[in-house]
Amino acid sequence: MIRIFLLFLLFCCSIVTRAGIPALDTLVADFDHLPAAVDLRPYLLSLVDKGGSLTPQQISSASFNHNYHLFHVEKKHIGKGNNCWLKLHVRNTGSQDSTLTLFAGWHDDMSWYIQDSADRKMHLLMHTGLMRDRAGVQRWEHYGFNVTVPPGSTHTYFLHINNKYYNENGLMPALFNDLQYGQFRNGQFEYYRKETILIHVLLGMLLVCLAIAVINYIQLPDKSYMYFAAYMLGLIVFFTLRLEGQPYQLSVFYRWPMLKYYWDIPALLFCFYLMYLAFGNTFLNLQERYPFMEKLFTSVAAIIGGIIIICFYCIALEQYQVPVMIYSYVYISTLLPFLIVFIALARRSRHHPLVRFFLFGSLCFYMASFGSFLMLIRPLGLINALGEISAPSLLIVAGVLLQSMFFLAGLSYRNKLVHHERTRTQELLIKQLNKNKELQRKLNEQLEELVKEQTTEILRKKQELEEQRKIHLETEYDKKLTEIELKAIRAQINPHFIFNCLNSIQLFVMQRDFEYAQKYLSDFSYLIRKTLDFSRRNFISLSDEIAYLNTYLGLEKMRFEHKMEYEIYVDPAIATSELEVPAMLLQPYVENAVKYGMTNTSYPIGQLLIQFNQIAPDMLECLIEDNGIGIIRSKTLRTLPKHHQSSGMEISFNRAELLNKMYNTGIHIDIIDKSENNNTESGTIVRILIPQL
Amino acid sequence: MIKAVIIDDERNSRDIISLMLEKYCPEVQVAATASDCADGIATIQQHQPQLVFLDLEMPDGTGFDVLLGTQDAPPFEAVFVTAFEKKFLHTIRFSEVEIILKPIDRESLMNAVGKIADRIHANASTSRYKVLLENFNNGRNINMDMVIPVTQHEDMIIGLNKITYLEASAEKTTIHLSDQQQIQADRSFRYYTDLFSTLRFYQINNHQMVQLSQINNIEGDGSRALLKNGVKLEVADRRRKDLVSHWKQYR
Repeated sequence: MIRIFLLFLLFCCSIVTRAGIPALDTLVADFDHLPAAVDLRPYLLSLVDKGGSLTPQQISSASFNHNYHLFHVEKKHIGKGNNCWLKLHVRNTGSQDSTLTLFAGWHDDMSWYIQDSADRKMHLLMHTGLMRDRAGVQRWEHYGFNVTVPPGSTHTYFLHINNKYYNENGLMPALFNDLQYGQFRNGQFEYYRKETILIHVLLGMLLVCLAIAVINYIQLPDKSYMYFAAYMLGLIVFFTLRLEGQPYQLSVFYRWPMLKYYWDIPALLFCFYLMYLAFGNTFLNLQERYPFMEKLFTSVAAIIGGIIIICFYCIALEQYQVPVMIYSYVYISTLLPFLIVFIALARRSRHHPLVRFFLFGSLCFYMASFGSFLMLIRPLGLINALGEISAPSLLIVAGVLLQSMFFLAGLSYRNKLVHHERTRTQELLIKQLNKNKELQRKLNEQLEELVKEQTTEILRKKQELEEQRKIHLETEYDKKLTEIELKAIRAQINPHFIFNCLNSIQLFVMQRDFEYAQKYLSDFSYLIRKTLDFSRRNFISLSDEIAYLNTYLGLEKMRFEHKMEYEIYVDPAIATSELEVPAMLLQPYVENAVKYGMTNTSYPIGQLLIQFNQIAPDMLECLIEDNGIGIIRSKTLRTLPKHHQSSGMEISFNRAELLNKMYNTGIHIDIIDKSENNNTESGTIVRILIPQL
Repeated sequence: MIKAVIIDDERNSRDIISLMLEKYCPEVQVAATASDCADGIATIQQHQPQLVFLDLEMPDGTGFDVLLGTQDAPPFEAVFVTAFEKKFLHTIRFSEVEIILKPIDRESLMNAVGKIADRIHANASTSRYKVLLENFNNGRNINMDMVIPVTQHEDMIIGLNKITYLEASAEKTTIHLSDQQQIQADRSFRYYTDLFSTLRFYQINNHQMVQLSQINNIEGDGSRALLKNGVKLEVADRRRKDLVSHWKQYR
């Protein structure tokens, strides 16, 4: 209110003075009785040094003129800066040598010169400014320039004001006497203190918010806290730097006066765009909830980041007005999109408490900034208001506070949600764990059962296998035994025959019939060799068998001195060398036939006929025929007691059986007594059928 | 002179016997030969020889058949001539009838002929042939009788089942009977162990062979065999188990 009042007062003054007082080159004043603060505008000549290259000496000879547009009560957007010289001619009409004070506002760089009236040389009296002053409250006392004019004389003062920043504090030169200056100073002090207190309170609150955010972030490393803290920190620095420009305040950043420029527009972009978007992104978990919005937020934030860098660059180039323009455009162009975003968010998930918190906070600030913008339009006009939107008004401060509160509350709520979620997850985990345990237990039981079952199964199988093996072994053993038996039988060429042969040889030797003995011996050894050979084999070729039988019968014939005759007939169709017959199968029958063939008294010569016939493509018939007394009579003739049964024929029968068992051959043996068919005949026929494999 | 007859179905065999007799046993005179059983019996009855060389197996019968068929003829000594004796091993050996294996070797022929000549000269009994024929008729069983040569001219006939155990004594064998009687047989212990090994006898150590049926009990894990007549016999360590199993099998 005071500000507005003062504004109004000065505005009235200016109107009054501009209207009432004509432009004059020289201020003529009675220094003793200065009625009130003298508005110096009509008396000040000015020169705008656009290049900024003029030296004080050049200024002294330059031409000055009246320029009312240079002066303004309020802060003014001045674009590329203002480098101007003010010239004051003052004459003391009073009688006393007193000092007046000139105050022209708070500016960045101010130099106060006096021109020597004699040689027109410029003497620097004072050099001050916001960019120059040291720390401490005292520095604010350096903005009143002493005007000391001896009574009756005229002095010329020059004031050089160089504002490079786009915003210029009020430039409204006035001349005060001591008392008036004191009053003016007190007014200013009061005025600025109130605003400062407001900022301080705000700073305190923001600090609390920052502390809360940081503490929460430490406890729960959630990114949204980080962004919120960054937002708070940005604001705190921003407002602290605002204090820099407030008169009669202690300065924190006085060592870096440029900081307040650097962290002016970029701060706004950083806090209200970059951090806001980043915060919103993580706070609302947009990535899951609203992917499109997340993309939008991220890309806009990236663009803003770029803009911030551009701003920094411009500031470094001392093009302070460019960031302001950028910011104005950004602000204007984002007003509507933000509203759309809010609506979209509200439509998407209005009922979600986090979105509500976010929307309320955002809307608060949005309304506040927009309201403040509207409020600025009326006194400053649209263009000026655009330049001024960066300045924090009371409304914006309230908006910032509300937004922070909402966001903080939202964060707390989010915390709670996270906590809930975590508890629930933990509960779920515990449940799952219990379930898992139960499952594991069941599984173990099942496994145990399975193992048990399988063990018994394995044992059973093993037993079975063992039995099978046993059976297998038994059959194997049986087979082996059979084979051995067979071999034994085969090897059992009648020992009688062997020793009788030897006996015969002995006789020949004793009779010195060496030729005969030798023939006998070689035949005999051939036979023995063959016997040994065949006994090791299961099958031999028919030609071998025939040769063997020939030799055998030859020996027998020699033994019995032509009391027997034999003939071996082989069917010419038989390939004797290829056909296989069981080794030593026929020999016992032939031996028997020889033995019994010579017993028939009606035939002095035993006739033996051995035939091999191919009766079918796969069947070999072997007939051993003698003209003995026949098997029936031969049996009745036998006088041996039962226990002395002859074994030769039995062995043969056994052998056929064994062979059939061993090789699955269907060897069939028939013994036929010739007298059974025809009484006039006598003798035995042994018929052996050997199937060809 | 000893009058002999040769019965064999092979001429070669008959020839060699007569040839060898002529050469090595001049005291034997071959009166006749025969080529089968029937002919043999007739020849014996006709010639009434003191000694007959008998082939065991012939087309129409065995040597035993010849002996059976000539029981009414005057008693004569017999020598079996065979190529292979296994079939009638116990029958012949138990009766101590001479046997010559083909091909005939000089020593065994001379030995057999010598023994028989002694017996003929001493007019020894021919009871061994009765034992032979009995054993032949009964087959191989526990009631077989045995001719035990005690001295060169003296034999004893005992039942096989009477024997409790045999014991080696120098070149001879002591035969212990169930009635505590002891007989000194003029045969080696080895001869009897070979002969009895397939019967129900068991050699319990290197000088004693016991008839399983005579064992009453086996003590101390088979270390001692207690016989029915009260005699205790030590069993060799490595035969204990085998003895027990044999004994159990017998019972």
